[in-house]
Amino acid sequence: MMFRKARDSDFFVGWLFSLPFLILWAWWFFYPFVQSFIRSFQDANFADLGAAKFIGFQNYAKILHDQAFYRAILHSLEIVLIAVPVQTLLGLLMAILVNRKIKGKGLFRTLFFIPYITSTIAVTTVFMMLFKQGTFVTNFFGMFGFGNVTWFANTHYALLFVAILFIFQQVGFSMIVYLSGLQEVPKDLYEAGQIDGASGLQAFRYITVPFMKPITFFVVSVATILGFQIFDQIAAISRYGALGSPAGATGTVVTYFYQNGIRYMNIGYGSAAVVLFFFIIMIITFLQKKLLDEKE
Amino acid sequence: MKTKKGLALTGNYVLLIVLGVLFALPFLYTLYTSLVTMQDVNHLAGFSKWTLANYKLFFTNDAYNVPQWLWNTVAMTAIVIVGNLIINPMAGFALAKLDFAGKKWIYWIVVATMMVPYQMILIPVYVNVAHLGWLNSVLGLTIPFLYQSLYIFMLRQFFISIPGEFIEAARLDGLTKMGAFWRIVYPLARSSLITMSILAFSGTWNSYLIPSTFTSDPTKYVLVVGLNSVKDMFFENTPLIMAGVVLATLPILVFFFIFQKQYIEGVSSSGVKG
Repeated sequence: MMFRKARDSDFFVGWLFSLPFLILWAWWFFYPFVQSFIRSFQDANFADLGAAKFIGFQNYAKILHDQAFYRAILHSLEIVLIAVPVQTLLGLLMAILVNRKIKGKGLFRTLFFIPYITSTIAVTTVFMMLFKQGTFVTNFFGMFGFGNVTWFANTHYALLFVAILFIFQQVGFSMIVYLSGLQEVPKDLYEAGQIDGASGLQAFRYITVPFMKPITFFVVSVATILGFQIFDQIAAISRYGALGSPAGATGTVVTYFYQNGIRYMNIGYGSAAVVLFFFIIMIITFLQKKLLDEKE
Repeated sequence: MKTKKGLALTGNYVLLIVLGVLFALPFLYTLYTSLVTMQDVNHLAGFSKWTLANYKLFFTNDAYNVPQWLWNTVAMTAIVIVGNLIINPMAGFALAKLDFAGKKWIYWIVVATMMVPYQMILIPVYVNVAHLGWLNSVLGLTIPFLYQSLYIFMLRQFFISIPGEFIEAARLDGLTKMGAFWRIVYPLARSSLITMSILAFSGTWNSYLIPSTFTSDPTKYVLVVGLNSVKDMFFENTPLIMAGVVLATLPILVFFFIFQKQYIEGVSSSGVKG
């Protein structure tokens, strides 16, 4: 009886239920996480990890002197600065469109969401076919002053190509998140607004936008984190070449440390790049929170 | 007033249709191209005939091994989903409905883990997998990914919204807490579990970074990694590549169509709002 009681306690069941997660987490997250920090202070090559030796901040110093690292950060920032505002605003617009009482909204919701659950490699492959020189897509963009070129092979357009791809895939997720938020806005608020003679635009500005603030923070921070993590698109357009083709034009922070840490097997160096990358993301997330909080 | 409303509605439809066409176009193009011959690729109209030859070639060419890749992908996805369907809800339930010493710490671990980009630990995880001899094995692609802290967080939000009376009633009927969870709470969480499964399914089925890092033997590739390698070999054979894209995408679409309704419900009820 005593035993049975203990076995049914919150303490016992709570830990028993958390244990599978905790064990996996400790071995496959916490331990690697700590290792990343330690390795970043080592000269470690994967070919002979036993020979790794402590070299203090040398990896960091070397990275901070590498022009390719700054280019990589710049490229990541460019992608984020193009993609995040577009996918946030477009996501909100699409959510409003499919939240109205209209025919076929289920179809549109599905259509907009499909790219999000489709393989990035597959979508990239399709876009590579579509953005080749001379297709109807590049001809179309040509009318607006873009060069009729193969976008992903052109040093000026390759990064924009990656950003467009990213927006296409992610905007459906922003839409779904906003959609769940829009359904929480009390209907009578809009009705009251209508009685007071507020226009549609005013209702949007003074009711929808403030209500969507926490959601916007969520959408923007997720998009930023994912934008900095872009990898598959770039790997797919690089084909057999070095990551970041053409000529480093699409090299980002992630491809930078992937190339150095895993392809060149210089684990210490790669880890140091990762740690720097981690701090960059933390700072940006922090700044975003400040920015959105002050926009009251 | 009435015409103004009608006008707004028309504008709504126009915008939706423009966006809809933009979103459908790449997929329609893929499907169309996968069904024509090489000669017809550049003509959107006036093609000579439909053909399934591209699909057939995909399954029979010796240069790659699609049935094997497909099997690897199915095995990987199935193991990861089953793990996530057991481990995440258990932890989520403990964090939502049980009161025990150490719970705050565990919750903090879940939230902090969510914030860390996976690339940050990729190198040491790779080293761990290599040490265990799990490179080029389904173990390396699944064991480290049997849980997801984001899903634990989502499920916790959902479990909090389940009234305590359900559990109390189950306990009055003689069930233990564990029994109440598996028999009562778990079935109630259906739509949240489906949402999680769709995300886990597409995330695993489509994952590229990890499988391409952890496998180098072409017979151990998953579909997406294989597709990328075929693309590099036969970049000029557009219809063949597009058939591959359709093959890699189809299972996700089928899965999504089946569970679509519960999915939208699930997102709303598990609330990313926190």
